[in-house]
Amino acid sequence: MSESIIFYVLALFLIGGASGMITARRTIFSAASFMLAMIALAGMFALLNQSFLFLAQLLVAVGAIITLSMLVIVSVNISERYIPKEPHLGRDLLLGVVIAAPIVALIITALRTHFAASFAPIPDTFGTLASIGATLFASWVLPFELISLLLLAALIGAVVISRKGERS
Amino acid sequence: MSTAALIVTLGSVVLAALLALMMIPVLVWLERRIAGLIQDRVGPNRTNIMGFRLGGVIQSFADVIKLVFKEEYYPGHIQTGRALYILAPAITFSAALLAFMTIPFADTLHVSGEALRIQALPVDYGILWYLAIGALGIIGVLFGGWLSHNKYALLGTQRAGSMGLSYELPLGLAVVSMLLTYNTIDFNAMVAWQTQTVLGFLPAWGVVVQPLAFILFSVALFAETNRAPFNVVEGESEIVSGHMTEFSAMKFALYFMGEYIAMNSAAAVIITMFFGGYQLPYLSSAELIESFGTFSLALMVITPLIIYAFIRWMRRNNDVRSTLSHDGGRRFEARVLTIVLLIKLVVLELIFAYFAFAQPSALQTQIAVAVVQIAVFIVKLMLFNIFFIVVRWTLPRFRFDQVQRLGWYYLLPLGLLNIFITAIVIVGVGS
Repeated sequence: MSESIIFYVLALFLIGGASGMITARRTIFSAASFMLAMIALAGMFALLNQSFLFLAQLLVAVGAIITLSMLVIVSVNISERYIPKEPHLGRDLLLGVVIAAPIVALIITALRTHFAASFAPIPDTFGTLASIGATLFASWVLPFELISLLLLAALIGAVVISRKGERS
Repeated sequence: MSTAALIVTLGSVVLAALLALMMIPVLVWLERRIAGLIQDRVGPNRTNIMGFRLGGVIQSFADVIKLVFKEEYYPGHIQTGRALYILAPAITFSAALLAFMTIPFADTLHVSGEALRIQALPVDYGILWYLAIGALGIIGVLFGGWLSHNKYALLGTQRAGSMGLSYELPLGLAVVSMLLTYNTIDFNAMVAWQTQTVLGFLPAWGVVVQPLAFILFSVALFAETNRAPFNVVEGESEIVSGHMTEFSAMKFALYFMGEYIAMNSAAAVIITMFFGGYQLPYLSSAELIESFGTFSLALMVITPLIIYAFIRWMRRNNDVRSTLSHDGGRRFEARVLTIVLLIKLVVLELIFAYFAFAQPSALQTQIAVAVVQIAVFIVKLMLFNIFFIVVRWTLPRFRFDQVQRLGWYYLLPLGLLNIFITAIVIVGVGS
């Protein structure tokens, strides 16, 4: 009972934060709503007893991404007149909801009726830090290292692009 | 949930809240008194309630009352986003407070088969929680500074954001090398690991095993908590007060208190990871429980000496020049405090005598050991807080570009080097 109450409160924050992010006119409120949504998502993971996902969500999404985007907002100083005008934003959003609703309903029905029986209960160690570490560094070590290389390449690329002007 | 579990959980939560919140006035007082000491003056010592000064701590309470009753003032130029503007200091404050909650204050109690952690949040991912929640504090700074619509606040905000990001990296790298050493992310297990000895005689504290990681970690934490020499965010001589410029009354107080709680949490994490946490050196919890009779006998001898020295020191210092006719209740305060301390001494002696000569049950001994460990923890915490304060009043502030250069050019490569060395040593020891 209390679990479902917490779930609905978190879901409210999640949806409210997500819609606030795309409807807010000022970038700072978009960032605040995004933060709300990300914290609510972290709460969802905590509700599912996934301590690693919860912490990673807080550490990466809130601690790093929000801070970085806030830093961009602070540095760039976007004035409201440079933001494209979206007079039909409300109508478009409503249209999107109407279009997406049948598909979402279909997914929920399918999960409830057809697939629900085939989901095996997860073991106790599922999603703990130790089991994720063991999986990443024992079974998936090559993809993991390749992704690190990809990220490194992206990082170097960003540095090269941003320094282009100084060379000439 | 059994009664014992309930009591321990409630006790730990109350203890954590007290240690975080009641530490603020004490730290503010310590900061001002130590600043006075270093600058060869006295510091606050006049504010009193019926003659009771407690060395000046009352000044902090007077400051809090002043801030609470101050007029709530909003700068007129802040039109939109007032809710977020008010919320911003609260974000910083609560992030700092929550980050403190996974620190263990004593060893795990074993009551009728149950293992009860003396932690406000009894979780086994302490250091990750500290990193994740501690990083949220910067967001309150960013929101508050940006919504202030003030040039100095904006500069402070930019400095806070970029400094927070740059020093998160050496902090994370130092933590990684410690995780490799301890092979755990649980604060309790880290403390247990540190009860070993290295080279046969040194306690295996993190600072002995990983001195480089300790330096990196503390420097990064000094930067993360905006303490001098890294307080460029609010460099008074350059940008007024940084992100706090437009904040007044309790909104400012929340930022201010958040800073002290963050410093307190940083000190707690440093002693937990590098200075053996709640453990006495050379005495693991098991040994302490086994020989608690002898230990309390030793305490019976030492405590009167400490209290006698303290009373002597207090009576000598809590006085005015003999030419003054009125002492403002100082001698009265010293007399009352002497009586209180003597009563405390008698009670303590009785308790120690019980544990030294009577036959206490195993549970009683465990609880007594936990209390001793909490006391050890608080003593270490205070020492480290004093270290933070002494550093602030000793070193001049860095220029902002120097701060960034230190972070990226020196701390980051050193952190990577330390991880390599740690990994090589661990592989070498393991094979």
